Amino acid sequence: MNTATQTDTVTLTIDGKTVTVPKGTMVVDAAKTVDIEIPVFCYHEKLGPFGCCRMCLIEVEKMPKMITACTLAAGEGMVVKTTTEKVEKAQKGVLEFTLLNHPLDCPVCDKGGECPLQDNTFKFGPPDTRMEYNRFNREKATPLSPVITIDRERCIACQRCTRYSDIIEKDQALVMRNRGFQNRVSTFKDQPYDTRFSGNVIDICPVGALTNTDFRFTARTWDLTNTNTLCGHCACNCNMTLGTRLNEMKRVTTRPNDLVDDGWICDKARWGYDFTKSKNRITQPRKQGQSVGIQEACTEVAASLQKIVEAHGPSSVGFIGSGYGLNEDLYSYQKLFRTNLGTNNIDHKTYTDTPGLPVAHFDLLDVETSDLVVLIASDPTEELPILDLRLKKAMTRKGVQMIVLNDQQTLMDKYASLSLRYNVGSDGVLLAGLNTALQGQSAESDLESTTGVSSNQLQAVAEKIKSAGKVCVIYNPVALTGSSIHTLKQCLATAGGLAETTVGAMPAAPVTNSVGAMDMGVLPDVYPGGLALTDGDAIKAKWGDTAPLEKGLSALEMIEKAKSGELKALIVYRSNPVVDFPSGHEVGEALKKLDLLVVHDMMETETAKLAQIVLPSNGPGFDEGTTTNIGGRVQLRTKGLTTDNPADWKIVSMIAKELGQETAPKDVHAVTAEIAEKVTGYQEIKRSAIRKQGKNREAVASANGASASDGTHTGSGLILRVADVLFSHDKILDAESNLAHQFQPSTVHLHTSDAEQFGVKEGDEVRVTGNGHEVKAEVRISNRCNPGGLVLPKVSDEQGVMSLAEAGKAVSWVTIRK
Amino acid sequence: MFAFNDTSETRIKKIMAKYPEDRKVSALLPLLTLAQAQEGYVTPEAMVEIGQRLDVSPAYVESVCTFYTMYYTKPVGKYVVKFCINISCHLNGCDNLMEYAEKKLGIKEGETTPDKKFTLLKEECLAACTEAPVMQVNNKYHVNMTPEKIDQVLGSYK
Repeated sequence: MNTATQTDTVTLTIDGKTVTVPKGTMVVDAAKTVDIEIPVFCYHEKLGPFGCCRMCLIEVEKMPKMITACTLAAGEGMVVKTTTEKVEKAQKGVLEFTLLNHPLDCPVCDKGGECPLQDNTFKFGPPDTRMEYNRFNREKATPLSPVITIDRERCIACQRCTRYSDIIEKDQALVMRNRGFQNRVSTFKDQPYDTRFSGNVIDICPVGALTNTDFRFTARTWDLTNTNTLCGHCACNCNMTLGTRLNEMKRVTTRPNDLVDDGWICDKARWGYDFTKSKNRITQPRKQGQSVGIQEACTEVAASLQKIVEAHGPSSVGFIGSGYGLNEDLYSYQKLFRTNLGTNNIDHKTYTDTPGLPVAHFDLLDVETSDLVVLIASDPTEELPILDLRLKKAMTRKGVQMIVLNDQQTLMDKYASLSLRYNVGSDGVLLAGLNTALQGQSAESDLESTTGVSSNQLQAVAEKIKSAGKVCVIYNPVALTGSSIHTLKQCLATAGGLAETTVGAMPAAPVTNSVGAMDMGVLPDVYPGGLALTDGDAIKAKWGDTAPLEKGLSALEMIEKAKSGELKALIVYRSNPVVDFPSGHEVGEALKKLDLLVVHDMMETETAKLAQIVLPSNGPGFDEGTTTNIGGRVQLRTKGLTTDNPADWKIVSMIAKELGQETAPKDVHAVTAEIAEKVTGYQEIKRSAIRKQGKNREAVASANGASASDGTHTGSGLILRVADVLFSHDKILDAESNLAHQFQPSTVHLHTSDAEQFGVKEGDEVRVTGNGHEVKAEVRISNRCNPGGLVLPKVSDEQGVMSLAEAGKAVSWVTIRK
Repeated sequence: MFAFNDTSETRIKKIMAKYPEDRKVSALLPLLTLAQAQEGYVTPEAMVEIGQRLDVSPAYVESVCTFYTMYYTKPVGKYVVKFCINISCHLNGCDNLMEYAEKKLGIKEGETTPDKKFTLLKEECLAACTEAPVMQVNNKYHVNMTPEKIDQVLGSYK
């Protein structure tokens, strides 16, 4: 071990201090570890050495000339000096040059107060300039995109933004045009720079050249109250800083956590927080449309629930939650329904999934250290953008290989060493075939006709998995049909049993806390921590003798029972079944038949309109608690804004109190502590342990179901594949959102052969019909999926694509009409 | 729409064969040269086409193209007249020569005569300090320039 340490690290002296750092560390980073500041502009640790700004010149003994600390890897025995007269003169000289044409408009510049150029000039710069000529004037404040403003006069051509576009985003959208002093950051033909990750250039810009258009001139940076919190959009749970002033959201910036986001956030995180001040928020509890006090509303909910349970039994009430809730909120709700109302009618999703994994739960960092990533049915670019960046980094800079198995084309195909496209709806057969191949047997002969993937190709996938040392499987359970998730987990179990390969997996459902919702037991058949109903003794020990042991209704079954009149009361929490459930257009009618519908949500939704009682949910920005990301990392989401409404878990505890619960948690941390005590896997989750970088929860029990034989599907027309879109026009990103320019028109993606069969051309306006519903869309002949299927991106709530899907069916058949 | 003609396509095959597949972006400069030879200047459509062939973004092609002053992104005249404006030529009076040429051709620096015959440009350095001031017309150098010599040289280009 000792020898390994000696070869992996180097020891050098910087300004008399001895530093030991890993081999390959740049001197500028080595200096940081002992609190010596070497000023930089162009260098950024995530972008690597570049050396164009010359700000970090240092002297090294035995080197004839000064050298840039950002391009010099620390060497054994190096003696570095950063404060000599020569270095100081160089720093002054470089800054004088940098400032030659830089306008001194700091008093009106948004970067003022947090500007590296300003700071470095104060610390290292000359007090004056010798420049006698007029400054070179360039365009002030022009839009680089609808959300980013570029001030080319302030630009010092450090190229951080263009290198970010090239190295991190991988699309080279932003480049340096022209040369010399006419150097100019721009896009091709000055088109808007509107990628999914464009906002990060604002944070890395060391001057005020790139600024947030929405934040411009709204507050000085030193007047902001900055709260370290988490993003509440996708399931990556990136760390971010919420800047607020006078209890209003002003801006969102990155808060680097290498274990989660690698220092970046997507544009939805940066500009997708307008909902905190939207007029569509539910701000007050109401009963039959009239505002009421929160206590009155809770009393009413509890009394009604109690009356219904007494009259029709516990199975007549139900709870539909969602992965948008915090662990504390979801935990409280399942506890309310299980221990206070005595029912397992609890669910949070419409697809099949089970908690836990038969193999290790890999964290995001494992993506980089694996030899092979197997990406199944997932489109990280649209679903989990920061995973997209992590995968690109692993593929292009860490030498990781990737296999993509998907029924639709994604931007990830470009980075994969093998990309297989199976027929829409054939994932069950494909995964069963993969399982057979992993077991070393040959697949069934009709595999290719059903899935569009040959057994040889699957054999190649199996061989790659077997020959790799460490394999990370990333799968999206939402995009798997029927009960193929069980087949997938059997595959994982088989792969996990391979002698020479370490296999881990990451369930990549896109919703914020989908892993947490599974862990918290918001499921009809599993208690928190993956505790199966069959384990009656363990359940009784933890949840008391009255804890229900019979399987409850799933979300879709609850809707069905509401329609038939067997379910009398439903609490819908942070979910909008009328739009987001399959056969959504029929959900409304079913919900109207309920004696009691309570909607507990953040925004006004179609479902909330039908509710007798509406309760306000505070949501990201206002709420506090923990979420579990796709890597199983539990992190603390803190609040940057305050409201008079009680927290969601508090509302639940008020209802529970009315139902006779004697003890109530004092604050949210008491709920977190209760989770640590009650939920397997969360034993170590304490506020102090997760405050900085979060902490991986231990494995929860893996409760797998048996896969039904999803053979071939019969029907006429094409099989529907609904694709997620990052900037979807929904309740969170409404028409007034900063990101409204990113909304897409409704399109339907067809294969050439199917387009011919239906006689449609590129750009045709068509109606996609099925399940007694139709969706208008424009035809794109993109071959995005195999013949026999069509891809319909879910671009808005209004579009209503989920109504095309038939509730309870593995696949849905649709047809095209002109 | 831009498409390389057959002659260019034959050349491109030869050029691309010189570089390994993962380094094919090295063919960027030769391809820009071909595109310019074909159209007279590098059109945005040509940048898109070249980007697709070499697996880089059109923005990247544009950045390279605008870095080099011998690639034109706007239409130019039959003869491109360039004056060196760097230090040796500057000390030897290139400013006056440029002014003289502007008057003579009736256009400003960066412009093209209405008959599309001459385009007047400045150049940062033509690497011929010993014979400053220097003027370049298309690929030919004219050294130790004077107003009279400008008359004589430009007159020889029909």
